[in-house]
Amino acid sequence: MTKLPIKISARNVDVFYGATHAIKSVNVEIADKMVTSFIGPSGCGKSTFLRCINRMNDTIDVCRVTGDILIDAEDIYDRRVDPVQLRAKVGMVFQKPNPFPKSIYDNVAYGPKIHGMARNKLELDEIVEKSLRRAALWDEAKDRLQEPGTGLSGGQQQRLCIARAVATEPEVLLMDEPCSALDPIATAQIEQLIDELRSSYSVVIVTHSMAQASRVSDRTAFFHLGELVEYGDTSHIFTNPSDKRTESYITGRIG
Amino acid sequence: MQEQHISTAFDRDLEGIQSNIMKMGGLVEAAMTDSARALNDRDVELAERVRADDKKIDALEMLINEDCARLIALRAPMASDLRAVLSVMKIAGALERVGDYAKNLAKRTSLLIGSATIEGLEGSLLRMIKEVEAMLGDVLNAYVARDTNLAEAVRLRDHTVDQMYNGLFREILTHMMEDPRNISTCMHLHFIAKNVERMGDHVTNIAEQVIYAVSGELPEDARPKGILAVADDL
Repeated sequence: MTKLPIKISARNVDVFYGATHAIKSVNVEIADKMVTSFIGPSGCGKSTFLRCINRMNDTIDVCRVTGDILIDAEDIYDRRVDPVQLRAKVGMVFQKPNPFPKSIYDNVAYGPKIHGMARNKLELDEIVEKSLRRAALWDEAKDRLQEPGTGLSGGQQQRLCIARAVATEPEVLLMDEPCSALDPIATAQIEQLIDELRSSYSVVIVTHSMAQASRVSDRTAFFHLGELVEYGDTSHIFTNPSDKRTESYITGRIG
Repeated sequence: MQEQHISTAFDRDLEGIQSNIMKMGGLVEAAMTDSARALNDRDVELAERVRADDKKIDALEMLINEDCARLIALRAPMASDLRAVLSVMKIAGALERVGDYAKNLAKRTSLLIGSATIEGLEGSLLRMIKEVEAMLGDVLNAYVARDTNLAEAVRLRDHTVDQMYNGLFREILTHMMEDPRNISTCMHLHFIAKNVERMGDHVTNIAEQVIYAVSGELPEDARPKGILAVADDL
């Protein structure tokens, strides 16, 4: 792997859900302006680890995170870090599209409003338009901005969620299986979008689709039983993985 | 082979392709043996049979390519599976070329009927064919056994074949200078020698594909090139 500017750096990260040891001493450095995919069988800890990056696990009482996660060399678990501010900087898109029960416009405008990013309606309009364009939804949504977001199709809803995530100008975008509930066309649109977003953000995507990981990501990390087994250039992982467990998983063998 | 896939149909498809490669390898080996014997015995009938049988080899190559294309489209093979499919396509291509050279040898045998055998020369030629045939047998064994050491040994043996070709080249040249009436026969024998040398190169390519399929890496260092020595003589 070539050396690149590091955006996210995890050192000896362990995660426990009560007595369950979900993540075991994970060390990983995620590059800026690149797409990194996390793959692995169900329950391997990839989503848990993803959720550590914007402290989503804070909301789970029994969850305990140890070790350091740094974004731009700053410890995000430091007491002085406000999780709400952190999540503006580290956006997230979930498996199931989950627009707010509000209009398309308000879905996108909500984040910028609470973070005071717009001084007036005009600026807010601009942010909404820019975000919807970024998410490749503007042309389909511009004439129905006041209609409820929940009235859109599944693929459109997911792009609305991406527009909502990028509206706060995040630096990192976390995506937890963003296409698993979408049809191939909508999936292709989201993947195209990911390709465009990489120029501005560090994108981390959890996916169960090997083909998707190989299509969209520059680097791939393989998790198994809470361990980070292998991390490297996607082209290398999918043609000649170093670890036997990675090989067994991506070729669909019992292992 | 390795551990089984969760989808047994995937294993079945892969095994089908591999068994076709072995079938193709067997046909090419037979074509080499028969064409050499046809040359030695000046057996036109056998030579004709080699030429006719080449169609079977070509058909198998097409079948293998179609099966590989279908496997890629339907199963999206990854890692070692992907390398297995890629190498199979290249190996099938190399085998088809070796088969073509054997066919050409058989064709020239028909043309050599009636011409006198040149003392010593054809013996050397047959020894060279035997050597390449043995290499082909070994590389097919290496493929089945996923044995990179054996494949590497075959790869290095190509040097011997190159040297044999160089020796033959000089011999042929001498015979032509000695008696111009030999020229026509010698030209055919030289083409055969050159073709056998090319067969050796294709067998070497197969050896490299075996190494790639198993290890994921192509051998980096260049093989010792014996063939250049000839250019110095010209």
